[in-house]
Amino acid sequence: MDILNLLLQGISVSIIPVNLLSCTIGVLIGTLVGVLPGIDTVSAIALLLPFSYGMDSTAALIMFAGIYYGSKYGGSTTSILINVPGEAASVVTCLDGYPMGQKGRAGAALAISAIGSFIAGTIGLIGLTLLAPPLAQAALVFGPPEYFSLALVGLILLSRLTGTSALKSALMAVIGIMLSTIGLDSLSGISRFTFGIDELDRGFDLSILAMGLFGIGEILTAMTHAEAKPDIPSVKFRDLYPTKKEWQRSITPMFRGGIVGFLVGLLPGPAATISSFISYGLEKRCSKHPEEFGHGAIEGVAGPESANNSAISATMIPLLSLGLPFCGATAILLSGFMIHGITPGPSLITERPELFWGLIASMYIGNVLLLIINLPLIGVFVQLLKTPLNILMPLVAVVTLTGAYSINNSMFDLIWVIFFGILGFLLQRVGFEPSPLIIGLVLGPELERGLTQGLIICNGSIWALITRPITATILSIGAVAILYNFVTWFTKYDNTRKELDI
Amino acid sequence: MENKTVPATSKYPDKPITLIVPFSVGGGTDLVARLLEKRALDYLGQPLVIVNKPGGAGTIGWNEVAGSSDGYTLGMTGVEIILQPLYGQTKYHYPTALDPIAQIAELSIVMVVQDTQPWKDLDELIRYATKHPGEIKFGHGGMGTTGHVAGEMLAKSADVRLEQVPFQGSAEATASLLGGHIQVLFTNPASVKEHVKNGTVRILAVASEHRLKDPVFANAPTFREQGFDVVCSSWHGIAAPKDLPVEVKDKLAKGFEAIINDPEFQKNIEALGFEFSYLGPKESQEKWITENQKLSKTVQETGILDKIKAQKK
Repeated sequence: MDILNLLLQGISVSIIPVNLLSCTIGVLIGTLVGVLPGIDTVSAIALLLPFSYGMDSTAALIMFAGIYYGSKYGGSTTSILINVPGEAASVVTCLDGYPMGQKGRAGAALAISAIGSFIAGTIGLIGLTLLAPPLAQAALVFGPPEYFSLALVGLILLSRLTGTSALKSALMAVIGIMLSTIGLDSLSGISRFTFGIDELDRGFDLSILAMGLFGIGEILTAMTHAEAKPDIPSVKFRDLYPTKKEWQRSITPMFRGGIVGFLVGLLPGPAATISSFISYGLEKRCSKHPEEFGHGAIEGVAGPESANNSAISATMIPLLSLGLPFCGATAILLSGFMIHGITPGPSLITERPELFWGLIASMYIGNVLLLIINLPLIGVFVQLLKTPLNILMPLVAVVTLTGAYSINNSMFDLIWVIFFGILGFLLQRVGFEPSPLIIGLVLGPELERGLTQGLIICNGSIWALITRPITATILSIGAVAILYNFVTWFTKYDNTRKELDI
Repeated sequence: MENKTVPATSKYPDKPITLIVPFSVGGGTDLVARLLEKRALDYLGQPLVIVNKPGGAGTIGWNEVAGSSDGYTLGMTGVEIILQPLYGQTKYHYPTALDPIAQIAELSIVMVVQDTQPWKDLDELIRYATKHPGEIKFGHGGMGTTGHVAGEMLAKSADVRLEQVPFQGSAEATASLLGGHIQVLFTNPASVKEHVKNGTVRILAVASEHRLKDPVFANAPTFREQGFDVVCSSWHGIAAPKDLPVEVKDKLAKGFEAIINDPEFQKNIEALGFEFSYLGPKESQEKWITENQKLSKTVQETGILDKIKAQKK
């Protein structure tokens, strides 16, 4: 097979010692970026760009890609151990990962998330290897009207991911959308809801909100009962790894997550974060025991953690075959390419095959390396739980705030991280689960932009917009889902009433 | 943030110089800054430290440059330092609050269509647009950006109605063009170069005085050649706050002149798709003044200013 030959050539490029070393360094840094809460992939790569000037271009790119996909491996670590997401893409992992940790299954959760990352990362890579150019073309069929319909249906289906109260979840999602309108509107170029404060023009960065609501918020929650010793059962070595039953429950979500993540990764937007939420929602719906979700269902870790990794592989497709970066992290990767004199795009595969296939082969190798690095680390990380909270949490706070500062080099952002931290703490106290807020924040702008641009494209006719074939299909799926929800709600209500009558 | 210590001019620079990039990591300005960083130590005697301060279409970063006076804070500039104060009140009037050190490169706007579209040249497209007013949608990287200005200039000059679709940056706009959701795109050459080379995108006109030097674009005629008065380009440069000691400014100007005219730097700039175009402090200052006059007229005549003002209410 032709592709197999090319891939073999790629492997021969990627196992040259210098390239292998760059790959190892890349994934090690990536793991660190992922584990440390608040340290953002984009700022980490930006910080390291100057150090790559003297490097061979292939080696440099292999390293940067390594940081990128490596960072999604470690993101779940702190989610599971201390309920603080290491990356925005691991916010949803807190929901079930942390309860698992509380039950003494932290090791299993970490192992499942590492293995899921590996499996899904590889699924994504296979897609990238075999189908990059045709997939990139296919994704272009999605224009603004399609993004609008996806965002709308996504908001409807995903806002009720957690908790018991639909009203509270919807409220959080709406607040998220409202927050997303603050700042310089990217389309009209005007400042909205900034009260003349220049710094607010930037709007709220996803990482800033995630670090505040979940990071600082959880630290505050933990500090309010710092005196209490963590009552985590001591973990025996044997218990570090998943049981057969946990395995069986995880394997399908891993593959499902892998496919979902891959598809989401082809479209513009923060794909890793969006795909993790979609995967969580999907698992909850597919599960035979949805009541366990939120209380340590392993599927809620396996699915999202897999999805965000294959999303990463998929985001490389528009970057490599069209030269179009669809998210912040691929934009900085593009810079890395350009600085080394390489322009990704349709001709990259034919003009620089050794680089293209070398890079892809290195990603296969990097995924294996990440698995090898991460599995033994689980034991070390679980030991961290023995650290008293009043020592651990201030350390986490320092790391989180440093990371938050580094995103825009802005003190102003730090104030907001702390503000959202307090908000997150209070919300938890009164029984609001803040993760739908993140969904609103991420999907709100897509919704608004898609609608504005879509309406211009469709000459201002909303009917023309919603009857485009793909848009209509997506919207019908959404409508069916809402109807289904109503029907189940009515039957439940009806049953309760009948029971009460009797 | 104000720092009143005037640098000791004889020893300057004796510590690393901060170069503020008022846009996010990975954009065109950021790339140019990083190419400067690559050679700074050799020519300036001190490294450059790049700090990205994105937001407010560049204004957050420039406010910081304009408010500093220690000589160790410089900023990357672009055509937005002139455009932004035209669109509304900014904290400083950048063309007068900043002093140019150098201009590095220019980026002319190009007008492209997908290769599957029927229009072989600009003339055919304009004829179609005259018959079907409002049917042609052109994309650009954001309201009030040079791509938008160029598109509106064409519409005015050809007296046709073109509907504008704003996107968030050139990557999303290019994707929408490739997917056939918009028919025309006004963007910088770098972001479509690979697609022009590949034949998926056809270039109809260049919004500059002369044809581009890059062989990929060399055959594309300018708007002027085709009878339309559309000249609009963005550029990248470096500026310092006003009122630095003359010696410091001279040292900076000499140092950056040497970096920019280094053959390797030029090669890299051109590889990124920019037109290399060095201007010294004096020439840059003159350019700022003429551009300011020209653009303030253009944004008024094309109605862009009215649109932005209307939305600001």
